[in-house]
Amino acid sequence: MGIAVIGGGVAGITAALDLADSGYKVHLIEKNAELGGKMEELAECQMGLSPYIAKVENHPNINLMLSSELERLSGTAGDFKLSVSGNEVGVESVVLAPGYDIPEVAKSYGYGSPDVVVSLDFEGMLKAATVSETGELVRPSDGKRVKKLGFIKCVGSRCQENEICSTACCAYTAKEAWEVKERFPDIEIYIFYMDIRVFGKDEELVAELKDKYGVKYIRSRVPEVIPEEGALTVKFENLEKGTIEKLDLDMVVLAVGLLPSKTLSKLAEITGVKTDKYGYIETSLTSPLETSVPGILACGTATAPMKVRESVAQASGAALKAAGLSQRTEPIPGQEEHKYIEVGDELKTGVFICGCEGEIANSIDIPAVVERVSELKDVVYVNSETNTLQEAMDAIESGIVDQGLTRIVFAGQSPRECEDIVRDACAGAGLNPYLLEMVNLREQCAWVQGPKDATEAAVDMLKMAVERAKYLEEIPVERYPVIPKALVIGGGISGMNAALGIADAGYEVHLVDKGAELGGGLRESTELPGPGGEQAADVLKELVDKVTANERINVYTKVKEEKVVGRAGSFKAKIVAEGSAEDVEIEFGACVIATGARRDFVPEGYFGYGKEKNVTTVSEFVKMLAGKLDANTIALIQDVPGEGVTARYSSIEVVDSALKAKEKNPDANVFVLYQDIKTYGKWEVLYKDAREKGVIFLRYDKEKPPKYEDGIVSVYDVIFNDEIQIKPDLVVLSTPAMPAEANERLSEMFRIPLKNGFFMEKPERPKMVLTPVDTVNEGVFICGSAVYPAMIDECLAMSSAAASRACVLLAKDFLETPAMTSVVDEEICVGCGVCEAICPVEAIELTEEPVPVVTFGVTTVVGRTKKVAKVGDGCIGCGSCASYCPSSAMSLKYFRDKQVYAQLDYAV
Amino acid sequence: MPIKTWELDPNFKNEIMGEAGGERLASCFQCSTCTLGCPITEIVPSYNPRKIIQMSLLGMRKEVLSNPDLWVCLICQTCTARCPQDVRIADVLSAIRRIAEREEEAGNLKIDSPRPLFDKAFQHQLEKYGRLYDIGLAKEYYPKKEGSFIKGMKAMMKDYKDFGMRMFKKGKMGPKAMLAPKVKGRAVIKKIFKEMGEE
Amino acid sequence: MSINKLAYYPGCPSDGTAVDQDMSTKAVFEKLGVELVEVEDWNCCGAAEVEDPKVVYALNARNLAIAEKEDLDIVTPCSICYYNLERSNKALKADEALCTKLKGIDSSLDYGGKIKTKHVLDVFVNDIGMDEISSKLEKKVNVKVAPYYGCYIGRPPETAFDDPDNPVLMDKLIELIGGEIVPNFNYMKTVCCGGPLMMTRGDIAFDMARKILDVAKNAGADCISLACPLCGMMLDGKQADIEKALGITIGMPVVYITQLLGLALGIEPNKLGLNKNAVDTKEILGKVV
Ligand SMILES: Cc1cc2nc3c(=O)[nH]c(=O)nc-3n(C[C@H](O)[C@H](O)[C@H](O)COP(=O)(O)OP(=O)(O)OC[C@H]3O[C@@H](n4cnc5c(N)ncnc54)[C@H](O)[C@@H]3O)c2cc1C
Ligand code: SF4
Ligand code: SF4
Ligand code: SF4
Ligand code: SF4
Repeated sequence: MGIAVIGGGVAGITAALDLADSGYKVHLIEKNAELGGKMEELAECQMGLSPYIAKVENHPNINLMLSSELERLSGTAGDFKLSVSGNEVGVESVVLAPGYDIPEVAKSYGYGSPDVVVSLDFEGMLKAATVSETGELVRPSDGKRVKKLGFIKCVGSRCQENEICSTACCAYTAKEAWEVKERFPDIEIYIFYMDIRVFGKDEELVAELKDKYGVKYIRSRVPEVIPEEGALTVKFENLEKGTIEKLDLDMVVLAVGLLPSKTLSKLAEITGVKTDKYGYIETSLTSPLETSVPGILACGTATAPMKVRESVAQASGAALKAAGLSQRTEPIPGQEEHKYIEVGDELKTGVFICGCEGEIANSIDIPAVVERVSELKDVVYVNSETNTLQEAMDAIESGIVDQGLTRIVFAGQSPRECEDIVRDACAGAGLNPYLLEMVNLREQCAWVQGPKDATEAAVDMLKMAVERAKYLEEIPVERYPVIPKALVIGGGISGMNAALGIADAGYEVHLVDKGAELGGGLRESTELPGPGGEQAADVLKELVDKVTANERINVYTKVKEEKVVGRAGSFKAKIVAEGSAEDVEIEFGACVIATGARRDFVPEGYFGYGKEKNVTTVSEFVKMLAGKLDANTIALIQDVPGEGVTARYSSIEVVDSALKAKEKNPDANVFVLYQDIKTYGKWEVLYKDAREKGVIFLRYDKEKPPKYEDGIVSVYDVIFNDEIQIKPDLVVLSTPAMPAEANERLSEMFRIPLKNGFFMEKPERPKMVLTPVDTVNEGVFICGSAVYPAMIDECLAMSSAAASRACVLLAKDFLETPAMTSVVDEEICVGCGVCEAICPVEAIELTEEPVPVVTFGVTTVVGRTKKVAKVGDGCIGCGSCASYCPSSAMSLKYFRDKQVYAQLDYAV
Repeated sequence: MPIKTWELDPNFKNEIMGEAGGERLASCFQCSTCTLGCPITEIVPSYNPRKIIQMSLLGMRKEVLSNPDLWVCLICQTCTARCPQDVRIADVLSAIRRIAEREEEAGNLKIDSPRPLFDKAFQHQLEKYGRLYDIGLAKEYYPKKEGSFIKGMKAMMKDYKDFGMRMFKKGKMGPKAMLAPKVKGRAVIKKIFKEMGEE
Repeated sequence: MSINKLAYYPGCPSDGTAVDQDMSTKAVFEKLGVELVEVEDWNCCGAAEVEDPKVVYALNARNLAIAEKEDLDIVTPCSICYYNLERSNKALKADEALCTKLKGIDSSLDYGGKIKTKHVLDVFVNDIGMDEISSKLEKKVNVKVAPYYGCYIGRPPETAFDDPDNPVLMDKLIELIGGEIVPNFNYMKTVCCGGPLMMTRGDIAFDMARKILDVAKNAGADCISLACPLCGMMLDGKQADIEKALGITIGMPVVYITQLLGLALGIEPNKLGLNKNAVDTKEILGKVV
């Protein structure tokens, strides 16, 4: 049997691939004729997803059912019968990922003017269409250049029709604004908002937009856009001046929210899963992936509005849970030993130019390129007929088999996005996958050059590639066995959940924690936020019991990890117990880091904390709420400065405790002082509840923080535009969350970069994160608050995801050595030496190199020199330097002879 | 002058929420939608329903009830229709106005607007006749508004001379409109005001 | 067509400033074959001046009860009356305690919640229907119209029967009878005419009405069409006062949608009260072919 995944958006694709890669039969059911879901419409993403789509289409374990819909479902977990557009399918479990739809917008936004567009359409405009020949952003109505652009946030969210916050739109608006500013710096941008609900990296992006790009964030929920005399007029409140102002814009983008997919109610009816009152599939804080029907899991925007990153994490997590209910029946791809054709010295180069769905053909004269490339020595075959990655792969395979090609030059989209797939295609046809040379025609040529130069540049790039291909060598691929065990670092809720996930999949797990007990940060909590009213202790107890009872999990407490060696599939670590001289050696194939975050920042000195007895922190306040509360006036202050980051749960916790205080003592005057209330997603109703119960919210500006002096809290409310004073009995401070102490050490040991002390996921080309739990160190995964302090449901989904990714790896019997080493682009390298310091095997050296100067087309070397990094032969291809390099000069390449590569590149 | 919350009336919001139409006051999250769509703000720049809500929530009872801007709302319901939190501002403002009227009747407050006078006069016409009697209304309202019968009649002539003639000429102010209507069920209407009304 | 008889609630201005609307409404329904039975001894709905919702519900309970006895749904040409009738109807249907209380006050307030309340515009387009009307048209009303809806057709949401920002029912009728909707007027369709402040803040009311007239004029309208007598009083009745007070000339004919529809149905202009509109309507009559 197998698993049915319903919905072929990014969530469905991710779930399907995780399952198929670990040997499960997957039936991927998508109602549209194409895969990709909404992400295919987003400017930044489309190409980011295409390699995954190509992988799904090629996967032997995936039965892809396009233009198909579920009509009936019967049976129970372990034995479901599905009827899908007339076909009968039997599966053991089902993953629902039908995604989202966007709301209808009120007519008052433009009264039908074509210059008011919804964000999803704007993504499309950004991508291509209305960015005219001249490369301008133009208005749909009259083709005039856009000079003033407005964004209106929360359209169709946080309102009567859709009570909750859509979570993704604050961030995607920032991203869109950034993209506009990068490409069209002269366009003025105004963003109308209520709260800026972004975290971490997105917070930095917003700061950059404001400070560096001069984007104006204006606090008003603009209800109307009036088209008048060729302009779009909006009104907003100038809170500082206390006036209402008018602004004329050329174009307005409506940052529409996310609603449950229109198909969801029918799907719920067929499958019997419950939906919540907002129309999403009902899940809970403590089981975010399970639906009301056993055996049916849910993920992505079908459970709540969220970004790609969270959708993908849920998808991997749901895949793991679905796998737990199913039998593995299929072989794992890539396990068979490859026998490659002996190519010897024979040079028969095939050149494949992929049209990339018109993106390349638009600006490059492909027939002209083909003609000139065909004339090159050693080129025996040129193919430019393909238009998708899939077609290109088929062409390459038959080229190798039918034409006996011995070198492949592939020209198309960025190698970062499709290199693996092209290499697999070569290997599949029996050609050593390292006899491949990639040319990035799309990003480096079609997108940057004007039409005429683009063709010339393409010919040049291909000539170089054909030349370089000559020097490629067959690289013998080494196989080694995978140790089917995992190490999980951190025994909090995420670590325990990950350990259980991996153990339930049949692998042995070593779970280590520095503390004496399992449970981590949640041990400090009492009642969890939200209507469920669950006790943290109960949730923990259940997990701890399960972990201790599980025979496959070995728990080590009070230990420290000392040293790690090895690579994905075959690691060895030394751990030392506290106070013991002996160390234990653990072998494992994959590792999950779940070190959580710390909440013990002491706001010493802030608002008299430490001196005044009535000043406390939220964590302490939450505990007080369990007892009797005899404060009549309470001031909760959010975003108290200090070390660390604003947790995703920070506002939720503040609002929840304010609400609970009010419920406990309805006559109490409860004030929340905030900068932005970030009750994203369904937590928005908590904010509403708190207001309705009488909590008073006062908004302050970072520049004018509140003060607590002589028993009086003074705050300048920027919405009220006046100073408001409170005489509180209790002042409650919400403080930042800090990274676990161990992170620094683990970061060095595992060579995973940190950001603000938290672990960074593997960087990827599209700005949306497609692999939120993967790191640059293959085989090592991260999750939970160790990545960014997050709510329990997110930690659980993410740790299931990390477990899922680990299991994909552990399911393999063998891995192949990646023959990768680092290559430096000397032109970009600024000689900062970061890489030299980070390299674990000291393979990098900084050297003084002459700077070539180009005068009248002649390259000369004058006296000037600069420091550049040189990568030596010791490089093990760990990728650390590449991920740390601030100028992106380092990258991993499949090259043996870097000298040749460098020389050739210089000649260009 | 900073606003000292301990000198305010934190119960004011509950008072408003206890009035019919005022129930949803506390849902407001100060988004400005009401203010930005309100047609009055273009004409009366000080007018800001959002701010009236915030003052009410904070408990600035005196300031809110004596604010003359309370009386320029058209009850056009634009704010109500658009409010994302279903605060029903037009109804909330109406609830606040009724509190203000009661306070004025109790002698605690002087309202700086003729509107309560007009509304009262209108209601008196209904009580008396069961329907609107334009002339009766004008005859009651103008003198009250202007402070004396003579002044009132003068003001009325100024406002209504041209209009009345125009209507008359077009046959809209015919003899029928001159006479007070007399709904047979007048007594019931009187009872309604007595039993359901607030006074 | 599913209906042939309705209770008619004319509203207070029907006797005076809005006789033209009253006449045209009756004439049009007659022509469309729907009998209107005036609610006997109806009382005022409370307009905008009775601010206490409980009193409004009680006032309207009486009118509803009268129509209910006849077993007829109520239709009214006035938007405010509609709003009061409809919200009272809703409240009474939902609140049993309220009904009991009203019954206690007087037996004539005993309303059983069995009938519907409607605005004429709603009845025309959604009950009688475009096909039915179309089949009875005799003339083409070749005018450029700025359709002005005012407040209570699209809002508040619980009583609305058209889009709050860009209502279209009137547009549909105008297009059906051969008229043309002027462009660039959409955003003015539902901005309040200022009527409720006429007596207490005439300055504000004038300003508001003037804006609507201006926008219609700039958009090139031959006339404004209406569906509410209070709007009629402001935009038509007071137009000359506005011109005088603000020292401007507008001269924008303002007619009720029932008058336009009546013309298309071939009804005598005087039977539609078109000689009673304050701003002369002759030019419009010239465009009926
Ligand atoms: C304008 C805009 C910009 C955005 N930008 C970003 C961004 O920059 N970064 C970011 O992280 N996120 C962004 N997002 C959010 C992002 O789009 C979502 O998080 C993501 O696409 C969710 O993926 P999904 O798979 O859950 O849903 P979807 O992408 O909606 O995929 C669902 C799939 O299921 C299919 N389906 C539905 N019903 C059925 C059924 N009954 N049977 C079979 N198939 C079905 C659909 O056809 C679709 O293919 C943006 C959203 C919007 C609106
Ligand atoms: S606050 Fe929520 S709904 Fe509004 S734009 Fe931001 S993420 Fe979207
Ligand atoms: S990739 Fe190579 S050079 Fe770079 S840090 Fe790792 S081992 Fe060193
Ligand atoms: S529109 Fe509603 S939520 Fe927004 S400020 Fe006005 S009353 Fe408050
Ligand atoms: S009802 Fe009053 S406050 Fe609301 S928009 Fe109309 S005039 Fe403004």
